[in-house]
Amino acid sequence: MIEVEGLSKRFGEVLAVDDVSFSVAEGEVLALVGTSGSGKSTTLRLVNRLIEPTSGVVRLRGAETREMPPEKLRREMGYVIQSVGLFPHWTVAENIAVLPRLLGWEKTRIAGRVDELLRLLALDPAEFGGKYPRQLSGGQQQRVGVARALAGEPSVLLMDEPFGALDPVTRARLQDEFAAIQRERGITAIVVTHDLDEAFKLGHRVALMDRGRLLQIGTPESLIRSPSEWMVRQFVGPEERALRILSLHRVADHLAPAEPGRWRMDGRHAFDAVADKPIGRVEHRDTLREALSAMVWNGTDLLPVVRDGEVIGQISAAAIQAVGRRG
Amino acid sequence: MIRRDLAVIALLAALFGVLVLAPGLFEPLLAQLNAPGQPALYDRDTLLNLALWHFATAAAAASIALAVGLALGIAVTRPGNEEFLPLARALSNAAQAFPPVAILAIAVPLVGFGFEPTFIALLAYGLLPVFEYSVGGIRTIPAQVLEAARGTGMSPGQVLAEIELPLAAPVILAGVRVTAAFSIGTATLGSTVGAKGLGEVIVAGLQTSNLAFIVGGGLIVALLAILVDHGLATIGRMLPAARAVAAA
Ligand SMILES: Nc1ncnc2c1ncn2[C@@H]1O[C@H](COP(=O)(O)OP(=O)(O)OP(=O)(O)O)[C@@H](O)[C@H]1O
Ligand SMILES: [Mg+2]
Repeated sequence: MIEVEGLSKRFGEVLAVDDVSFSVAEGEVLALVGTSGSGKSTTLRLVNRLIEPTSGVVRLRGAETREMPPEKLRREMGYVIQSVGLFPHWTVAENIAVLPRLLGWEKTRIAGRVDELLRLLALDPAEFGGKYPRQLSGGQQQRVGVARALAGEPSVLLMDEPFGALDPVTRARLQDEFAAIQRERGITAIVVTHDLDEAFKLGHRVALMDRGRLLQIGTPESLIRSPSEWMVRQFVGPEERALRILSLHRVADHLAPAEPGRWRMDGRHAFDAVADKPIGRVEHRDTLREALSAMVWNGTDLLPVVRDGEVIGQISAAAIQAVGRRG
Repeated sequence: MIRRDLAVIALLAALFGVLVLAPGLFEPLLAQLNAPGQPALYDRDTLLNLALWHFATAAAAASIALAVGLALGIAVTRPGNEEFLPLARALSNAAQAFPPVAILAIAVPLVGFGFEPTFIALLAYGLLPVFEYSVGGIRTIPAQVLEAARGTGMSPGQVLAEIELPLAAPVILAGVRVTAAFSIGTATLGSTVGAKGLGEVIVAGLQTSNLAFIVGGGLIVALLAILVDHGLATIGRMLPAARAVAAA
């Protein structure tokens, strides 16, 4: 658990972080959102003590971090730096291996870990392990930066715009991978992003920063349902609210039992026995927003829900509306 | 690439070896430069002995210059030490402001004739390039690389040894090349104050108007300088930072 209390950092005239307090529970992801220069990166650097605060304290599992040796603290906290900062004289594999090597892991364990992480981040170990950072695209470098931060199996992750340079497909894939690792390992994380959709997708809670101050913090849904004026101005058009809420919910959590005999699978396609024609379908992992889109597309207000190629239920437009409706 | 470098070095070394070990082979050629009857080959000492002394003097001065210049460069680039940079710059600039001959003239009364004054002059003059290149090499490392290194949990010593020095190494080596080339050339002056070296041949040539001595001695010094420079350049190309650039 990370607790930040009354944290401030002044650079000359600039109050980069201004009396910020929040806490991140064990295994929780806090997404930090804000305009450029609002103090997000500075906040992360204060947490891993790359810089020391002007005032305030940071606690890790109850212990004040200023009492800990900074190197020891940072080895527990994987850090993805905003500008990536790969070590240019080392190969990709050597970059990822740096902390395990400092921690004195055995060679075979390090090699295995490097391969595992490269694969996880959609980079072929045979192709990329021996390359130098200069030989990679921006998005590839960014992924190596994430792998490097994960390499030492940290209990805490601080990620500063980790997926900023990626195309939407790779980005979505890595967001899912991250969420999976984070859940599986119970990692406590602070993720900085400019992208509200990313914040809502990754963050159990979202914190909004502006000019060094923490404006609002809460679950994605609570922020959407009662946004501060600032947030509405900066990020969410009011007309998008319902759709944003829908994208926070999974079909699996809102499906009804299938009408007996109505749906069957024809290979990869669903078939509606009542209408006697093929019909679209949604996956149980899809969001309600995707389900709504599928309904509009198929001109229907009822769709079968599929898991591993089997129909496991159905979802109705009414159920979707009930979720997205004003509270 | 590296193989071609090594081939060039082997060739230069062979040529140098023949010149130093069997100068007799070149006697007919050098004799053309002289009046009939004037000796074409220096015979008061073996060329091998003189070349070894020459190299040792220059190498000793350049190594100490590297050690001191690099240590100073590291010291003034540590956080909190920035204010010492102008002072260190002033000192190393002052040392270089005196021409080597002047340093020799000052040093001889203090430490006597021979190796010592030569060594002092070379060291004083060779310090600046190594120092400036070290500072430059370390200061041009991108801030985000250093932040990543610290953020990963490297101690200041590890950041220096694993990140800063390897990344600055090609630039530092460029400074060493400047100092080495200078030291080998200038060690020749040492012969005027009694240091053993190839300068002896050239000085003797000047004193007796023996063109063969001057040309032969100068040739060997130049070859030694080129050989050492090529060697250092090849080492430079094998450094990890240079290999990473070459791979891209
Ligand atoms: N080392 C520093 N020295 C002086 N000022 C700094 C320093 N680091 C940050 N600042 C200032 O502090 C403020 C907050 O910077 P910070 O990098 O935390 O913003 P950010 O929210 O991460 O912005 P972005 O989204 O653009 O990355 C800015 O005004 C910046 O200029
Ligand atoms: Mg930032």
